[in-house]
Amino acid sequence: MTGLVLRGVGAGYPGAFSVRGVDADVPVGGWLIIIGPNGAGKSTLLKALAGLLPHGGEIRVKGRLLRDLSARERARKIGYAPQVPQLPEGLSVADYVLLGRTPHLGLLAKESRRDMRLVTDVLHRLDLGALAARPLHTLSGGERQRALLARVLAQQPGVLLLDEPTTGLDIGHAQELLDLVDRLRREDATTVVATLHDLTFAAQYADRLLLLNGGTVVASGTPSQVVNPDTMREHYAAQVEVLTTGGGEIVVAPTRTPRET
Amino acid sequence: MATDRHVRNRLTPWRLVLGVLALVVVLVAAVCVGAADLGWTTVLAELWAQLSGTTSPLDQRGADILWQLRVPRVLLACLVGAALASAGAAYQGVFRNPLADPYLLGAAAGAGLGATLAVVFAPGTRDWIIGPIPLAAFAGALLGVGLTWVLGRSARGTGTAILLLAGVAVAAFLTSVQTFVQQLDTDSIKQVYTWMLGGLNTTGWQDVLITLPYIVPAVIVLCLCTRLLDVLALGDDEAGSLGVHPGRVRLVVLGAASLATAAAVSVSGLIGFVGIVVPHVVRLLAGVSYRVVLPLSLIGGGIFLVIADEIARTVIAPAELPLGVVTAFTGAPFFVLVLRRNRGKLS
Amino acid sequence: MSRARLALPALLLSLFVLVGCAGREPSPAAPSESAGFPVRVDAPGGQPLTLDHRPARIVSLSPAGTETLFAIGADQQVVAVDDQSDYPPRAPHTSLSGLTPNVEAIAAYKPDLVVASADTGNLVAALGKLQVKTLVLPSAQTLDDAYAQMTTLGKATGQASAADRLVAKLKHDLGALAATTPRPPTPLTYYHELSQDYYSANSKTFVGQVYGLFGLVNVADSAPSSSGYPQLSAEALVKSDPKLIFLADTRCCKQDAAAVAARPGWSAISAVKTGNVVALDDDVASRWGPRLLDFAKAVAAAVTKAAPSGH
Repeated sequence: MTGLVLRGVGAGYPGAFSVRGVDADVPVGGWLIIIGPNGAGKSTLLKALAGLLPHGGEIRVKGRLLRDLSARERARKIGYAPQVPQLPEGLSVADYVLLGRTPHLGLLAKESRRDMRLVTDVLHRLDLGALAARPLHTLSGGERQRALLARVLAQQPGVLLLDEPTTGLDIGHAQELLDLVDRLRREDATTVVATLHDLTFAAQYADRLLLLNGGTVVASGTPSQVVNPDTMREHYAAQVEVLTTGGGEIVVAPTRTPRET
Repeated sequence: MATDRHVRNRLTPWRLVLGVLALVVVLVAAVCVGAADLGWTTVLAELWAQLSGTTSPLDQRGADILWQLRVPRVLLACLVGAALASAGAAYQGVFRNPLADPYLLGAAAGAGLGATLAVVFAPGTRDWIIGPIPLAAFAGALLGVGLTWVLGRSARGTGTAILLLAGVAVAAFLTSVQTFVQQLDTDSIKQVYTWMLGGLNTTGWQDVLITLPYIVPAVIVLCLCTRLLDVLALGDDEAGSLGVHPGRVRLVVLGAASLATAAAVSVSGLIGFVGIVVPHVVRLLAGVSYRVVLPLSLIGGGIFLVIADEIARTVIAPAELPLGVVTAFTGAPFFVLVLRRNRGKLS
Repeated sequence: MSRARLALPALLLSLFVLVGCAGREPSPAAPSESAGFPVRVDAPGGQPLTLDHRPARIVSLSPAGTETLFAIGADQQVVAVDDQSDYPPRAPHTSLSGLTPNVEAIAAYKPDLVVASADTGNLVAALGKLQVKTLVLPSAQTLDDAYAQMTTLGKATGQASAADRLVAKLKHDLGALAATTPRPPTPLTYYHELSQDYYSANSKTFVGQVYGLFGLVNVADSAPSSSGYPQLSAEALVKSDPKLIFLADTRCCKQDAAAVAARPGWSAISAVKTGNVVALDDDVASRWGPRLLDFAKAVAAAVTKAAPSGH
């Protein structure tokens, strides 16, 4: 069964969709990365997939239409990590991650032992065990992103939507986080859709890429198909060279135009 | 379970028991001491006598003072304090702003206008079960919040920024109408002013009975929504992604909190500080989760206002201090003290 | 064209002349009426006021002042009284406010003397710029203050002898009332209520002094108060068990004997049990003018009624 299917999806406000006509098929456990210049509509599309913005067309999650799901059902299937999360001051990491269990709890229910065990597992998997009692505002950038990821994982969603998950992370921590997501999705067969601004990372980690510009899909396919100098020049107005490392990894290298003296 | 130890979002039983115990002690102490010196041993003996069915040690006048005046007043102070503190905590949760208080959305301005209209235009009060001033203040407070909600929605939002702006606009408008009405009948100014300073000095059982049916259900609703308030702290988008409807939660929580506030204001006038200070102190002492903050604010608010009212009616006895003045005087320094001791906990 | 050109300066010139004339005092009438002027009157707590001529256009912003002015025969000299001055009914009632005085509105009556109970919003200075004198007569603290104000108003309006007669009569009548009203062996205790949240007046106020003439003891005296108007606590009131209750909030707050009896715990108070809750007229019980006598009469009647039952 396909994890996520998009057919003619528009996103934004009805009558004024800023994103139009998006098609995509993401298999279960697959990783789709959406790239595009600033203002292309990447975050808007992601929010629509999360059910936070109205959408047109069809979005199917494991065969079921997104708009047919209630808010709680949706929250049990889809986890959304925004680019700039709101981290309530004074809340401990454990409490924060525990909030991810909300869709599975009734109105009056308290968290059960099972919920607690789950959260402990997630914390360990993301190497946050030692930080469980620390208040959120004392964490570093990388630790915060991991805490956010942990909270979303605690929802046990089949689909992960990550909006710029490497925001504010240095190259080492960014790699660490993306490796983590990759490992998790393989272990749990979670479908991942992410937006990334860094083209090299996008090319290296994605199964498939979607290039958005001005609200429409201008290219889609495997990284090697989508990432090429002509596409980059056309849509990013950027001069690049696409290189391949010794190990076969794609690197998108910006090239400086020689200065005219 | 490792997580169990690190999770601070539950109200541990011993905290609750401690809180309730403290409240009971404060209530009994407040009933023992008052402007009419009945003697605390005598009062304790009287309480025991009522419980055990033995003869009362107090004469008729003393019994009247205790049971018709002092006991309902202490209970009402507890109710009003609990209502205002929990409403304040709820407002802070909804607006994600530590400076929010239950008067934010026009409740105070509406109540003030209602009271002014009652003073200026109402007929004699003898045949009414509830006096015109409490009734009008109650209706006015609800009207103020209702107007704010409608105004906010018409600007296409139940988002917090729009609500705040609408609240400011409604409060300004209602206050100006109140000032205008006061100018029509300048005799009313003193009466309205003393009402607005806040006080419980004309309390009887009547007041307790008319506020109970509003405050108790409202507070129960608030306690049921505590987990939702915790989720709301993540922002509308993330709360939505967790399956919570932010707009609906806001409506229910603000509705219940405003009902509690309106009922409190109708019998006590405008008592400030309780709604802001008590939840903050609870947060600093016990953690930020609303599952802890709301119930403890309930208890803390009751304790705080019973003590404040105690001070208001005994410190210059047989004269009284306005309750709103006492809450400001006692609340502010205490808050500063707690802030200083917890500097490290805040960013 | 030349005519129109002259018209504007002529208009401006006549305007200047008119304005210049407006500030002038009206010329005194008969010599006998101007006797006693110019006069220097003492304004309590302020600078003495010198009046050159007998004022013929008085604006009163003080209800007590109004009552006194009309009682000393200065009727014809008063052109406007404020919105709270409702006694006597023949006084020229206007919508002028004594609480928030509007200088322009007051000036529109072209007064030569303004009587006020407070210098609100720099009223005196503002009127001074328009060459209008203001006599500030603040709330009387004692009976003697009240008498002194009546005398001052008499001097200021050229009705000194009428004022002196009024004061003498008041003193005499009050003394006579006090002497003829029976006093029980134990002095009767009383509570004077200003509002239904238990604001009271203690015996140091002029109201309290009137009660003092009859040998009554005020239950509010044990309450600390710098103003003389403490707010009492319900418990203390019930405990002190006054034999007489005087309600000065019958008009403003619609209180009466039945409402008082319905208050929680109040039915046990002696005054309520014996039917000695007296409804006073708010204004009569608070204005330090000639109606002090009416106030005293109401108190005397109450004491007479209560005396046999209050031992």
